[in-house]
Amino acid sequence: MSQLGNRAAWADDEEFDDPSALPAQEVIANKDGTKTVISYRFNEDGKKVKLTRRIKTTVVREHVNPQVAERRSWAKFGLEKGHVAGPSFDTTSVGENIVFRPSVNWKAQAKEAEKEGGEKGSMKDQLKDKKVKCRICSGEHFTARCPFKDTMAPVEEPTEGGGGDMDDEKAAGGLGAGSSSYVPPHMRKGGAGGGEKMGGRFEKDDLATLRVTNVSELAEEQEVRDLFERFGRVTRVFLARDRETQRAKGFAFISYADRGDAAHACEKMDGFGYRHLILRVEFAKRTTT
Amino acid sequence: MRPILLSGHERSLNQIKFNRDGDLLFSVAKDKIVCAWWSANGERLGTYNGHQGAIWTVDVSPNTVLLATGSADNTVRLWNIKTGECVKVWEFPTAVKRVAFSPDGSKLLAVTEKRMGFLGTIAVLDIAYGDGQGGNLNEQADEPSLRITCTESKATVAGWSFLAKYIIAGHEDGSVSQYDPKTGEQLETMQAHEFDHQINDLQFSPDRTYFITASKDKSAKLMSARNLAILKTYTADTPLNTATVTPKKDFAILGGGQAAMDVTTTSARQGKFEARFYHRIFEDEIGRVRGHFGPLNTIDVHPAGTAYASGGEDGYVRVHHFDKPYFDFMYEVEREQLRK
Repeated sequence: MSQLGNRAAWADDEEFDDPSALPAQEVIANKDGTKTVISYRFNEDGKKVKLTRRIKTTVVREHVNPQVAERRSWAKFGLEKGHVAGPSFDTTSVGENIVFRPSVNWKAQAKEAEKEGGEKGSMKDQLKDKKVKCRICSGEHFTARCPFKDTMAPVEEPTEGGGGDMDDEKAAGGLGAGSSSYVPPHMRKGGAGGGEKMGGRFEKDDLATLRVTNVSELAEEQEVRDLFERFGRVTRVFLARDRETQRAKGFAFISYADRGDAAHACEKMDGFGYRHLILRVEFAKRTTT
Repeated sequence: MRPILLSGHERSLNQIKFNRDGDLLFSVAKDKIVCAWWSANGERLGTYNGHQGAIWTVDVSPNTVLLATGSADNTVRLWNIKTGECVKVWEFPTAVKRVAFSPDGSKLLAVTEKRMGFLGTIAVLDIAYGDGQGGNLNEQADEPSLRITCTESKATVAGWSFLAKYIIAGHEDGSVSQYDPKTGEQLETMQAHEFDHQINDLQFSPDRTYFITASKDKSAKLMSARNLAILKTYTADTPLNTATVTPKKDFAILGGGQAAMDVTTTSARQGKFEARFYHRIFEDEIGRVRGHFGPLNTIDVHPAGTAYASGGEDGYVRVHHFDKPYFDFMYEVEREQLRK
């Protein structure tokens, strides 16, 4: 599209100030190594559209054995004879993504994940200890089978859906699959601080986690780890990074195995000079309060 | 990681093998063709056609010039990898269950089945590489230079140790033995696995000083090639068909699952059709990779340790290129060691 704009041939000179001509494509090199390409085109309605794209180019250079490079030029043979280069769809496909994180206690983790999955469980499990309740006489039978079906009108219920005890259960269980209205996590009876599952995993860590702010942009996770490991066993270091530039964002979280160590580190490291900046260290606050 | 699925076979896979540079992957299955794939993108380079029966085994010469296959049609065939032509056929009295090139590629061993009154043997064939430009590859010796007969229990798998100093064979009765490749004499034997539990796979470490065996007795063992000492034991909860050791990281990958005949009676979840990763030194299981719909018959690791491929009873080969968490994983003690 942009060729029209920036490479106008002499023959097109007359039409140069034509309103249909498009401004030339602009390429701006950004500071962080990315490129911004601004191009113009017409959409279906004939309107001019400005298209801004940010492009990050990654060059992956690979050194291969000359024999390997030579092999790449081999012609196909056998059943593949005469086929074009590139994977063919009938023999090669890409599977779904597999998350594979080796870990020492993967068995415990897998079990936990299974339990979480099982919690939602089947409808049958959920309704296992629910009792049938008649809407007319509150007896233990279906409304349609009620002996007073023809003589009495159903009792008006304050909530739609089931009876009172059913409501309680749902509130405790969080996401009930029933037709009752949605209850936000922090309003539920069971989950005190909301986000039960999310919080549960790091709850213990929170007690011994420090929040470090005013960290240099050039900080490295290993450096930060070394810095804080002097005070005790560090179980986790999280250094926030910019997704694109990979530079530190200026804050980090350090978890200690022991709260005493954390307190000691907090005291010593607050105000410590690191890479020309003075660190500010404090105990991390729970995110969900 | 996103696995690449290779579906070039119509029946269950028997063996897969990377070449020494890791750019090519060869697979053989119970159907009669051999497939060659580019390991980076899963593109099929070609097929080698000519066998008349299920192909049990494949091996590639260290210089990636010749490919050897052993089949149930009682032959070992040698192929020109580049062109796909068959350059040599050796006939045997029974099916060939395993072939393996020596580390320098000058010899090929073939393990033959015990059947129809013939005892199981390990035959050693001399391999020539023609003029070095891919010509005259069909000038090969007709007769094996050595034949080792297994009188006690037939060999199921075999391979060459470091410098082709020993031939190591795994047997049907769960024992592992060491032979001299010059005289054919049995030097040592060791009941490594439970008695009468067949050894299904035997793969060497990159330097061939030790190897890993996988057996029907639900365990894999790391053994020294020099004296057959058992170095490590990895126990699983299912019969194992294959095991390999990973370069770069100190892991071992084990594969297996419910035997094919029992598969229909169990669900995929119970079938345990996963590749199991063990730490080679600590012997702990550190993770599993699922994906196959049947037992894993064969696993091979990229020689650079950056990828692994598994072939299953379901007819698929899955090539997995490892991503960062795999390389980052370390035990606390390893990390401390590294810091010092």
